[in-house]
Amino acid sequence: MSVTSAVSSDYNSGVSNVPIEHQFNPYSDNGGTVLGIAGEDFAILAGDTRHTTGYSINSRYEPKVFSVGDELLITANGFAADGDALVKRFRNQLKWYHFDHKKNLTIKSAARFIQHLLYGKRFFPYYVHTIIAGLDEEGKGAVYSFDPVGSYEREQCRAGGGAASLIMPFLDNQVNFKNQMDPDSNGTAKKELKYLKLDEVISLVRDAFSSATERHINVGDGLEILIVTKDGVRTEYYPLKKD
Amino acid sequence: MNHGPYDWGRPSDDTYGAYNHQIAAANNSQFPKMNTQQPIVTGTSVIAVKYQDGIVLAADNLGSYGSLARFSDIERLLPVGDSTIVGISGDISDLQQIERILDDLQVQDSYDMEKPNLKPEHVHEYLSRVFYNRRSKMDPLWNSTIVAGLSSTNELVLKYADLLGVTYSSPAIATGFGAHLAIPLLRRKVETEEDASKLTEEEAVELVRNCMKVLFYRDARSIDKYSLAVISQSRKKIDIHKGLRCEDMKWEFAKHIRGYGAPQL
Amino acid sequence: MFLTRSEYDRGVSTFSPEGRLFQVEYSLEAIKLGSTAIGICTSEGIVLGVEKRVSSPMLESSSIEKIVEVDRHIGCAMSGLTADARSMIDHARVSSLTHDLYYDEPVGVESLTQSVCDLALRFGEGASGEKRLMSRPFGVALLIAGFDDQKGPQLYHAEPSGTFYRYDAKAIGSGSEGAQQELQNEYHSSLTLKDAELLTLKILKQVMEEKLDSKNAQLATVTKEKGFQIYNDEATSELIKSLADQDVDEESEQI
Repeated sequence: MSVTSAVSSDYNSGVSNVPIEHQFNPYSDNGGTVLGIAGEDFAILAGDTRHTTGYSINSRYEPKVFSVGDELLITANGFAADGDALVKRFRNQLKWYHFDHKKNLTIKSAARFIQHLLYGKRFFPYYVHTIIAGLDEEGKGAVYSFDPVGSYEREQCRAGGGAASLIMPFLDNQVNFKNQMDPDSNGTAKKELKYLKLDEVISLVRDAFSSATERHINVGDGLEILIVTKDGVRTEYYPLKKD
Repeated sequence: MNHGPYDWGRPSDDTYGAYNHQIAAANNSQFPKMNTQQPIVTGTSVIAVKYQDGIVLAADNLGSYGSLARFSDIERLLPVGDSTIVGISGDISDLQQIERILDDLQVQDSYDMEKPNLKPEHVHEYLSRVFYNRRSKMDPLWNSTIVAGLSSTNELVLKYADLLGVTYSSPAIATGFGAHLAIPLLRRKVETEEDASKLTEEEAVELVRNCMKVLFYRDARSIDKYSLAVISQSRKKIDIHKGLRCEDMKWEFAKHIRGYGAPQL
Repeated sequence: MFLTRSEYDRGVSTFSPEGRLFQVEYSLEAIKLGSTAIGICTSEGIVLGVEKRVSSPMLESSSIEKIVEVDRHIGCAMSGLTADARSMIDHARVSSLTHDLYYDEPVGVESLTQSVCDLALRFGEGASGEKRLMSRPFGVALLIAGFDDQKGPQLYHAEPSGTFYRYDAKAIGSGSEGAQQELQNEYHSSLTLKDAELLTLKILKQVMEEKLDSKNAQLATVTKEKGFQIYNDEATSELIKSLADQDVDEESEQI
């Protein structure tokens, strides 16, 4: 139906025949950055605790990495309202999974399920970078990362959010030994891959975040690291610079 | 007046001619569906800070129509149940919509009798879901809100929710201009939860009143009349002080400002 | 009897004053008219066996399908109005595939059975506004056999009433009374898959009116390794032959 044929009334002498432009923007960026690393028998998921809009710091402590049960960690970083909505829906569906199937959700299944949550909103996406971490069916550390519309991949490590581009190359080098050579080979052989120990991973994460804090305005205030091992989930907190 | 059952209250046809139903029925006509695109009458900042025994909240009484100070008696601190205050800034008609939604919520709550169960954590969750659902329909309620109160375990709740469904919690929160002008002043005293636990009620009220004064000095959409709520954990009570005024202001500097107002000789 | 019942026979979802749903009860009767189906669960896997009523020598017996695959790890035997099973099997296949799509894992056998049973009561409107799907209850019962990592090999019996139970061994259909008695006598927990195959055939042979052959009986198994496998005529004939040999042995022993 053409808008030009609209009736005009005393209240409206001319109806616009150009499409109405919505100036309401349903998205915002709430900053922060997140990072997941898988070890041999553990996995971590870390995030800073700063919450921002524009140049304002809304909160210095607003956690965005969650332990949702079944030894699964999840974070959805980017637009906080979408992130919260996604995590809430996942938690809700996890309960239903338990009712329906009477068993724990494996991280592989969680990953596939999150793909459907994200792709279900393909044409009005959740504006988030989602990462989940946990242990796989063999007890090995697992990290899965997603793009906003549900493409996913299992990886050894992944940084997401505002400072992802600052942290990821550091991780490539320090976790997957990219561009590192075996010191004894005289520059002829690549450094062999090996699993990092938990304390090595924690110090990598702390370095990654303190460096990102220096260079990115939306990162800082605090670092919360959630760690999954066969004994369960535990949380560590380290302060970051507040400037 | 037309007294016909379907046209009751309308102007009578013989006096004014047939009533043009198209005017009122904008929805089924060829007008595009219209949603809120911008706030119209607005309320400015709401500010809140935690102290050792509770939370102090304040919002002024102005309803602005653009740059026109249109209404000067708008109450923007709404009590919900007996342990929650919702402070609302942004569009005033949407504020009134929220008021009705929260009223319904209180009615629902009172149906199961015995004691009130509606606590700030519930109000915040509900309100933020309303905001998020409306934004997802591209038909937002154009507000930023602060929900404060005493939780079901008598702990302090101080949380923010806005038109996008964005939420967060902090020991000092301010909406709108307050986020820029009041937050630095509030954080100077209350940066962390630990700082809040050292601030007395008197200090907190003093701090918030000072922020309201600074906001009146610098925020052109503010007024010097405001409401201030004090939530107290130990007294298990909320007091709302209405019609407070900014006091001890100094305007001597104004006469030195050149370029605005009437030409000075 | 019909006089007293007639009032409550009309509406499918109307309770009688004694608290019965006659149409559902009648649907259970429909199953008793069906051909016999047997399922036996062993630690190595599950065996399903059905009788096929080849009503005419001109009938192509392979066109009678009473055991079907739901997914690689789940199979299903039926008895009663087998046409009704179509929509149930379709639903089961969709459920299983959807679960795999959503969770990247095979669906649990119990959950799958539950999802099939959810259909059974859709002859009335659902509590949350679901549309009425059918004019009457299903006239078919299913034996659902499957393997999953959580509970290993399992056998479920799903009824038109929407209830289901797990069994070590279960017989349904016209010969079910005799067959169930025989299963109770012969079943033990250390049964091998091979034993179960022969036991299924042996019982079918006992309860069937026709003489058992590869045309009027069908077997299938579900195992961890090979999933659902339906037996072709040659494999069935061979089993029937070894069953006959076994019988000869037993007879000679008795002499």
